[in-house]
Amino acid sequence: MKLLNVLVIDDEEVICDACELVLSEKGHTVTSRNDGRAGLDAIREGNYDILLLDMKLPDFDGMDILKVVRKEKPELCTIIMTGYSSISNAVDAMRKGADNYLAKPFTEDELLQAIEESYTHR
Amino acid sequence: MASPAKFETYFKAFRDIIRSMQGNLSLQEVLNKVVEKSTKVLGAKGALLRIFNKETQLFEVCAAHGLGKRYLSKGPVTTEKILSDMPELHTVQIITDIWNAPRVEYPQETWDEGIRMMLDVPLAIQDQMVGLLRIYLRRQRVFPKDELDFIVTVAEQCACVIERVRLMENQREHFTKLATHMEKLSSLGRMAAGIAHEINNPLGGILLFSSNMSKKVPAGDPLEKGLKIIVRETQRCKTIIQGLLEFSRDEKPQKDPFNINDIIETALGVVENEFYLQHVTAEKELAQDMVKTLLDKNQIEQVLINLLLNALHAVEEHGRVTVHSAVDQEQKKIHVEISDNGCGISAENVKKIFEPFYTTRGNGTGLGLSVSYGIIKNHEGDIHVFSELDKGSRFTIEFPILTEKPSGKGAHNETA
Repeated sequence: MKLLNVLVIDDEEVICDACELVLSEKGHTVTSRNDGRAGLDAIREGNYDILLLDMKLPDFDGMDILKVVRKEKPELCTIIMTGYSSISNAVDAMRKGADNYLAKPFTEDELLQAIEESYTHR
Repeated sequence: MASPAKFETYFKAFRDIIRSMQGNLSLQEVLNKVVEKSTKVLGAKGALLRIFNKETQLFEVCAAHGLGKRYLSKGPVTTEKILSDMPELHTVQIITDIWNAPRVEYPQETWDEGIRMMLDVPLAIQDQMVGLLRIYLRRQRVFPKDELDFIVTVAEQCACVIERVRLMENQREHFTKLATHMEKLSSLGRMAAGIAHEINNPLGGILLFSSNMSKKVPAGDPLEKGLKIIVRETQRCKTIIQGLLEFSRDEKPQKDPFNINDIIETALGVVENEFYLQHVTAEKELAQDMVKTLLDKNQIEQVLINLLLNALHAVEEHGRVTVHSAVDQEQKKIHVEISDNGCGISAENVKKIFEPFYTTRGNGTGLGLSVSYGIIKNHEGDIHVFSELDKGSRFTIEFPILTEKPSGKGAHNETA
């Protein structure tokens, strides 16, 4: 698989750290942001292949960030992460333009699979 | 014939008693009014009111007026003895021979109180005796028949008032209990959702790191087993929290007209193998004339699967589980009953089974029945349980027969 440039937006450092470890071991480049504002700046300034986006951020609703992504960076493959694991949540996120959905907690394999699926299906 | 003035007095007393009920008084206040008014209207020394307690099968003293401490300190007159000969339901019993009447239990105290005559007025509704009003008079006098009839009529009205107030109080108590129960469940649900979300984040870290490490350790490494356990147990936490979130989610059911028999068949299909493994047969007695009603198929299926698996866990190998469905056209309801001949639930535990986290199974989350309860309530249905230890349990659920979807917005709301 192609080496990817990944952006993680989550206010939980442990999630950012874990994603960074797992993905960098596979050769991907990972950047983390801990709030919505910094995340948006990174989206606008950087050039990422994948966005791992938490739904509940201290300053923004993940859905609002997703809307900006779809408008300004439609090519950015976005995977939603949320602690409220429910089917209706996932359906809602996909409808609003997410490429994939991860219910926390998830394993390394689930993360890698979600990235691969959504990136190759684009 | 009693004088018109006397009837007017009766009428006023009667009216006051009726008003006391409309004044939203408690049962005790109404009873106090009854003894006070009857004492007054008959120019008596006092009155004592006993109400029949269906549980103890005794007439218990509930209100008294005008009687001395010494007399009352005799405690609740053992009514069994006095009332062994049930008075005719609609006749006043007149006691003039204080010393010898079998109904007078404490003649000495009665005489010392200055009581010379008693009237036992039954408080009856149709053929049911609700209570007994005993009126104590200081001197004997003649009661013409029409006056006695009038007393009986007033007493019967009082009986109705008492019964109505009693019914209202029971209802109020019942509703308060229900409301408290619902409130408790919903606040627990909100709390559960909050906790679930907070816990999923740290679990996310644990699961990612541990699954990552677990892959790095070579086979046979002393860390291998521990890491695998961490991964597995974290995933177990995830399942528990999933259940919690399902319980707390106040999702509106997506209802469509369904024949519940079809949903029962689907649910039975899902649990079929589990039953087969334990040599348990699920017997079906499904109503041929079952009608369609508005149900959320997935949610009801979840409820039925829950109940079926609970029944399966309650029975030993070769046990019996029965699913029965019926239509009640008169009440416009459908019923489903799932019964088993398993271990049963003690009366004490029956009260707790719908509470979240209550479980008797080591690996249970204790959320199955509370989730089911919520789903059924969202369908305007009801669930009841009848159980006896070592004999088995019977869960009955009922839903109203509805064919029209509620019009307007919100019928198909998406909840995020």
